[in-house]
Order: sequence, then structure tokens, then C-alpha cells
Amino acid sequence: MARAREKQLSQVVSELGLDKQNKATIGRLLAHGGLAHAEEGADGRMSIQIRIPEDELTYSPSITVMPHAGELEIEFLNDDKNTHCAIVPSNGDYQWIWLPNHSRGKVSVTLDGPGYYWYSSNVGNDEGRGLMGAIVVLGDVPEEARLDRPAQPRP
Amino acid sequence: MTQEYMDAPAATNFGALSNMVGSAPPVTEDVTYQRILNAREGEPHNWITYYGAYNGQRFSLLDQINTENVKSLAPAWVFQAGSVGFHAGPSTYSFEATPIVVDGVMFLSGWDGWIWALDAKTGRQLWQYKHAIPFDTSLCCGNVNRGVAVANGKVFAATLNAHVVALDAETGEKIWDTIHGDVRAGESATVAPLVVKDKVIVGSSGGEFGTRGHLDAYDMETGERVWRCYMIPKPGEPGSETWPEGEAWQRGGGNCWVTGTYDPELNLLYWGTGNPAPDFDGEVREGDNLYTDSVVAVNADDGAIQWHYQYTPHDLWDYDSNMENILFEKDGRKLLGHFDKNGYFFILDRTNGDLVSVTPFVDRIDWGEIDSEGNVTPSIYPEAEGEEVHFYPGPAGGKEWTHACYNPETELFYCPVQDVGATIARRRREFKEGIPYWGAHVIVDAEEMKGSVSAFNTSGEEVWRWENEIPMCASVLTTAGDLVFAGEPSGEFNALDANTGELLWQFQCGSGHHSSPTTYSVDGRQYVAVPVGWGAWVEGFLPGLMGGPHGASLFVFALPEE
Repeated sequence: MARAREKQLSQVVSELGLDKQNKATIGRLLAHGGLAHAEEGADGRMSIQIRIPEDELTYSPSITVMPHAGELEIEFLNDDKNTHCAIVPSNGDYQWIWLPNHSRGKVSVTLDGPGYYWYSSNVGNDEGRGLMGAIVVLGDVPEEARLDRPAQPRP
Repeated sequence: MTQEYMDAPAATNFGALSNMVGSAPPVTEDVTYQRILNAREGEPHNWITYYGAYNGQRFSLLDQINTENVKSLAPAWVFQAGSVGFHAGPSTYSFEATPIVVDGVMFLSGWDGWIWALDAKTGRQLWQYKHAIPFDTSLCCGNVNRGVAVANGKVFAATLNAHVVALDAETGEKIWDTIHGDVRAGESATVAPLVVKDKVIVGSSGGEFGTRGHLDAYDMETGERVWRCYMIPKPGEPGSETWPEGEAWQRGGGNCWVTGTYDPELNLLYWGTGNPAPDFDGEVREGDNLYTDSVVAVNADDGAIQWHYQYTPHDLWDYDSNMENILFEKDGRKLLGHFDKNGYFFILDRTNGDLVSVTPFVDRIDWGEIDSEGNVTPSIYPEAEGEEVHFYPGPAGGKEWTHACYNPETELFYCPVQDVGATIARRRREFKEGIPYWGAHVIVDAEEMKGSVSAFNTSGEEVWRWENEIPMCASVLTTAGDLVFAGEPSGEFNALDANTGELLWQFQCGSGHHSSPTTYSVDGRQYVAVPVGWGAWVEGFLPGLMGGPHGASLFVFALPEE
């Protein structure tokens, strides 16, 4: 299963407690549960493992990075003592999964990119408390889809 | 002690957790080019292409609902769309579609990649398709989509992140998916495709991001791009002399974000183009800036430009000309009629682009003047850096993209009119790909505004107007029942007498109208369908109602059953 490189949260966000439940705010600031890169298999499919730690009401990592558009398999592990779920954007329809206490399950999604997509636990106010994650798709559109003009300056 | 994880229930399509049927009858299998050619007369019970017919008239031969009985019109069913999770433009999504109906099945798009098939008689959802749209897609004017096209068993749609998809019309399953534009360049796609022969015609969006507008044709069966027509010429190409030397043409705008009309005898598409970029800073793009703010006649087979007419040369007011060019005949001449953002109603000879007449259709026009020969004299425009100017109409125009219609029985055009100004000052900025490129600050009036549905004859003379306290911002529809349907920004859906403008019926839908109503019949009963959902670029066309209810519903009306 995919293991990912995770990076530390912003120091100041952490010092204030925005990355914790019921400290600075009632819930947890969105997408402050770490970042990890999906691993790419030989067939081009990507995979990632995402946990819901106990009493943190966050997806960890909160930011999943896909190196390019394509298919991503997510294994969710709910380490919490409450039931949550995940509704994840995918071309065709959202993919939705129940995540009972201490359960694991897989979701496969297809995303175009470049850009980023939110997914969440759409029960109660899990979303407001922090159970929202982002899937970031890197890269550019293919050459044939770009405008016929010289390279332009970017910010 | 380590506890083993239990297996979570299997993941599922979210739509499976609803009462939708999952499939639709194969009604589009034999929707061919020939059927679309004869859409109005051949099958008036249907609405099988964006404008109801290639000519863009938005006129239906259905007359069961008429001036005598329209007072009894009542809701038959409502489709509620709603919103799931975080999506792009969470404050600007709007329900702008044109419902397409084929033999009892409605095909409808929403914002953010939603496409639905509905039972047109009962409203029951048959299937849904959801294209995943990046949250950070560049949008000038909201999370919107204006509709789908159908043919040969497929549903065609442009997605907000600039893909074109073909779906199986029976199941909603994707058949092909072609990338149409570059989201990193600020491109998106909001247009309803147009099927012509074996091709799907799709235009670009992104005019406020300094893109290079284009119109594309895709093979209906494979999704392969057959031709692309850029609306900003490269150096050396015809029209390039209207751009300065340097880089301006590369970010020149001229996008194609509203569906065009088509004359099959001439094999010409009449496609409107958008503003030049930057919108309000003309000093960096001296010249007329072809083919921005124009109608461009394009050969449907190869994408070659046959002729053009530029409604606003060297635009400094954001006067896109994307809105419809309605085809009609008068005294044996092939003509087209176009209500432009600049406040003038143009009639052209559509065989060659010659101007036949030009007349103002909105009361307050002070940005400049267009004389009867088509000569343009600008008066008020942003020029000095930081110096505010106020002009009418504002950048939303005397009429926005929402459509006028033409009734061949009354021989009248009906136009939703916006009479609202704006204050603008030039604010120069350098171009950076993917960043808005307006070259100004803009404050649209939130007071001293008004609107109307106005009727004009084929000489451009106003025949009647139904006045409103606020601008009219939704497409209008006319029928052989001598009616004009028009939605208000404040939620009312109105039926007017097509001959007099008298208000005959009204229903409060609970949210503002910014879409295109259509009409159809099933089992002999006529329906009128109107998507309702206030949003999009409200700060541009009606900031005084930015706080209006943000709905997301399709209302369908009919007369009571016997």
C-alpha cells in the first residue's frame, strides 16, 4: 500500500491550535492534516492511504497530490470511535463510502486536472469540523489542447 | 492489543443512493442532422436543439397554451438540483441551461458538470452524469453551463474545465472525452454545443483572462477535433492589421461562449465573439481588434471565415457580441437580427454581412453613437489611468447573453432589455497567464436601473414594451399561442401577450431567472420549462439583487388536465 511522504504543518497554525479540535476554533481548519504524494504503479494508476485519526475529525493526509490526471485508488482507514464517510469527486459520479468505526475501505476515482478537488464526510457537520480533504492534480493539459501562441508569463 | 479493521461497505456511485431510474428510453437514437434541420415544423412537440431550430428564433408552433387560457397555467412538476460538498464558484453557481426535450425525455445541464435525463412528463430523474470539476477552475462569471446537444444516441456537453464529453443518452455513461481548452491559460467552457451534420461545434470561454478565442468542431462519433477557427488572427493573417505589432494578439480575447445559429443553405455558422482583452484598456491594443465583438460567418465543414461584421470596433466597454444572431427572411432576403450589448439592434444581410439597419433598443446609450451607416463614434470611455467615467449601458450591456426571440407569425422580435450603467476607471496591469486581465476597476450601478421586454418589428422600430423596475436578465420564448414568456430577476415567470405586451399570467418561482425557457408537449399536453437559479455574474448585470435568493430548480408548467 502506498506510503507517502508527509510534511509538517505550518508552525503558526499549529501554535494557535487551528490544526486541533476544540482549541482555537470549535473544529479544525480545513486541509490541515498533512500532505502526501500518491504513488504511481506500473500501470499508471495512483494510490494513497488516508486515515481518520481518533478524535481529530480530519483526513490524514488532508492533501493528496497526484502527479498527473488519471485514476486514483484511495484506501480510507477510520481510526476514530465514530462513524464517518467520504464523498469523493470522480468523472461520472461522486464515489461514496460509509466508514464505520475502525473500518477500512477503498474508493477509485478518475480526475482530469490540473487543479484541485475537495472531498468530505457529508454527514452531520463533519465537513465544518474538519473532515474535508483536497486532491491536487499536477501537470498541464496536453500540447494539442493548448492555445496556439508563444509561451506566456505566469504569476 | 491491536484491533483488526472491519471492512467498510463497498463504495458506490452517489447517484445510486437516490430513486432515479438509471436509464432512459432510446429516444435520441434516430435524432439526425435531417431531423434537426426540420425541427420546428417536423416535430414541434420537441425542442431538440439549443434554440429549438437552427435559425435561433426560439419560437414554438405549440399553441395549446394561449392568450385565452394562460391564466390557468400552473406547475406540473419541479426538479430540485441542490448542491453537494465544496464546488467551484460556491457563491456564483447559476442555473442557466436550455432544457432539451426529445419524445418525452428531457436532457438538462446544471452547474459544475451536472447533466441529467428526466422524464419530461413527470419530472422523475432517469439518470445523471457528474463531471468532476476542479475547485480552482478560472471563472469570470460564475459556475454555469448553458445546455447540451443530442444526436445519434448521444448527449454532448462542454464541461467547466474545458472538456467536451459525449454520453450514452440511454445510460449517461461517458463515450468519449476530449480536452477542449487549457485551464492553466484561464480557459473554461460554458457553451451549449451545436450539432451540425456529423460534427459537434463548441466555442471557448475565458475572455476575462486574456486567452485567444476559438471555435472548434469535433467528430460526433470519435471526439476527434476536425477543425479549429481562432477568432484572433496571427500576424500576417487577414485581420491581423487591426492589431498592433507585439504581443497583444496573443491575449486578444474574442471568445465564443454562446451557441451560434446556422443556415444550412449557405452552410454558414453565425457565431458571436466576445470582448477584446484587456477589456477596458485599449491603449495596449490599438486598432479595431478583429474578430472581437463580431458576428463571424464560418463554413461549417472546414471552419473557414467567410465574412464578419464587427458590432463594436476597438471595444472599451466590455460589449461582447456573443449573443444570438437570429435568422429570418424579409422580402426574399436572407437576414439576421442581433441585439448587441452596445444597445443597438442590428439587421444584416446574412449572405455577405452587409448592414441593413441599425437602431437603438435601450433608452440610455451614452458610450457613443452608431449612425444609420454603421459608423461608430465613441464618446465616453476609460482612458486616463485611475480616472472614473460613467456610461450607459454598463458592461452587462443593453441585453446580456440571454436570448431574444422572433415570432414569424407576429413578425416581431422580443428582447429582454437591461438599462443600467456603470462606473469604470482604467487600471493598467501586466498580463499574466491565468490571472484576470481587465485593465480597470468596475462598479456597476445598483440604483437608477430599469428594464423591459420590448418588441421590435423587422425595421427595428419598437412596437410595444412591458416595463419593469429592474433589468430583465433571462432569455425570452415565443409561441404560436401568441405568447412571450419572460422570467424576472426577482423570481416571477411571466406570460405576455405577443401582440400587445399585456401581462397575462405570472408565477413567483422563488429565485431569479437567468436561463432559457423552452416548451414541448408529451401525450398531447403542452409544457413550459424554465430553470430557475439566481447567480453567475450578478455583480456585473444586476448588483442591486446580489442578495437575492439563490435557487436551483427547474419549474415545468402546464394547463390543468381535464
